[in-house]
Amino acid sequence: MPGLFEGFFARHRKGATLAALVLVSLVCLMVSNRTVVIRPKEIGLSVAGFFQRGVTGVFRWFGDTAGSIGQLRAAREELATANARLEEMDQATREAIELRRQNAALKEQLDFAQTLPPEHIAAEVVARDTDNLFSTLTVNKGSRQGVKKGMPVVAWQGDIEGLVGKVVLVGPGSSQVLPLYDPQCIVSARVDTTRDEGLVSGQGRDRGSIVMNYVKKIAKDKIGYGDLVVTSGLGGVYPKGINIGRIREISAPAYETSLVLQVQPIIDFDRLEYLFLIAQEAEAVPEAVSPPPPPKAGSVSPGAGAPRPAVPPSTPPKADLGPSQ
Amino acid sequence: MNRDLRTTIFTVAALVICILLQSTILGRIAIRGVRPDLAMLVLVFVSVRRGPMVGQVSGFASGFLEDLMNVSPLGFHSLLRTVIGYLFGLLSRNVFIDPFLMPIILAVVATLLKGLLSGVVSALFGIASSGFITFTGRIWIEMGYNGIVAPFLFALLNLFKVFKQADKEGA
Repeated sequence: MPGLFEGFFARHRKGATLAALVLVSLVCLMVSNRTVVIRPKEIGLSVAGFFQRGVTGVFRWFGDTAGSIGQLRAAREELATANARLEEMDQATREAIELRRQNAALKEQLDFAQTLPPEHIAAEVVARDTDNLFSTLTVNKGSRQGVKKGMPVVAWQGDIEGLVGKVVLVGPGSSQVLPLYDPQCIVSARVDTTRDEGLVSGQGRDRGSIVMNYVKKIAKDKIGYGDLVVTSGLGGVYPKGINIGRIREISAPAYETSLVLQVQPIIDFDRLEYLFLIAQEAEAVPEAVSPPPPPKAGSVSPGAGAPRPAVPPSTPPKADLGPSQ
Repeated sequence: MNRDLRTTIFTVAALVICILLQSTILGRIAIRGVRPDLAMLVLVFVSVRRGPMVGQVSGFASGFLEDLMNVSPLGFHSLLRTVIGYLFGLLSRNVFIDPFLMPIILAVVATLLKGLLSGVVSALFGIASSGFITFTGRIWIEMGYNGIVAPFLFALLNLFKVFKQADKEGA
């Protein structure tokens, strides 16, 4: 009998190996897909994150060294500009102190609850998904730095804060973030001007467009192109009032009971370098209360003070402007 | 050391380097977020050169490592790469890799096969990958990108003795 098996495997070595490897892969898929296997992925993420940080670091070092000469020249010009701005800011600070004092007094009168601003953990994007099939971002902060699964992630681009996604996998020294444009990322949102609620989700195929569903058809006449979409805070995953994007297409399919809004994300996902992970323990900041200022890269911002900068009104590209249906 | 084993180890090392490059610096040359799949191209080249055994084992090992690094379920990439390695390995000794046309054809076919396989596996296991399920724009971009990169990459890989054509018993 053993001889029979040996003979069979000798004749079908390649086929038997293929069958064995496919079987192992399928078993892994079945087990892993039910989230039974957790540790191997976390260990793998940590090991991979180590090498990815290394590769990114080496290439960044070369890039930075080459660019430092030009940066020095630019820095001199910036210094002169900064000195001029400093004087303006001095004046603005004095005004802000006065406004803050007035704000505190008004809040007290309106009996607002005292809430703590959320804590931000600054992280750098060190890698993206190895394949084009999935769309995660790997950042250089993990459980050792206090990152937890499910943390909302934001970024600042051009002084505007925008939602990036949420943490889906945490290793000791690195984590993976599921971006907004992934179909698995679903965010409870509302149109800022009309307060109509809906769910925003990615479409996967195009990171420049996400879709907002379940907005009541009755709101069609009130909602306009370029209206800002923000997180609603419902569901408890994302704090309230984070910018998501601007409406660039409105459609009301006859077979649907709700509107379908195409939204242009505030964040340009191709330019992401630094992200800020929002600690969940802190209470969500109500829109009426001042949220934190833009945190500096590489630092942990306790976040207090200035309001979120208003997103400048934008006109959607003409190519994307279709008539309301 | 057995030649197939040596080739497999060398291939897995090359694939790991490709995977690391794909997840880091290749993002800078991405078109609409799509990067060329260097790891798949290396796997295709090695499989065609060295046969199904080297192809499938290298594909499995590199795919498994990729699964550990990604958000994809464990076994997803290993299954894809194993099958791709095996199927392209069957072409071994039947295909002559010229400097230009054949690399492009192999890259295009491999990308389509990857799209098809990933779609089937995603549908069977209910995996919500944002990639090629419905054969949307991304696969066509990747196909074009892989086709452009393949001749240069294959020319580079040709320089390595370890990837030389399999002899009759080695396949």
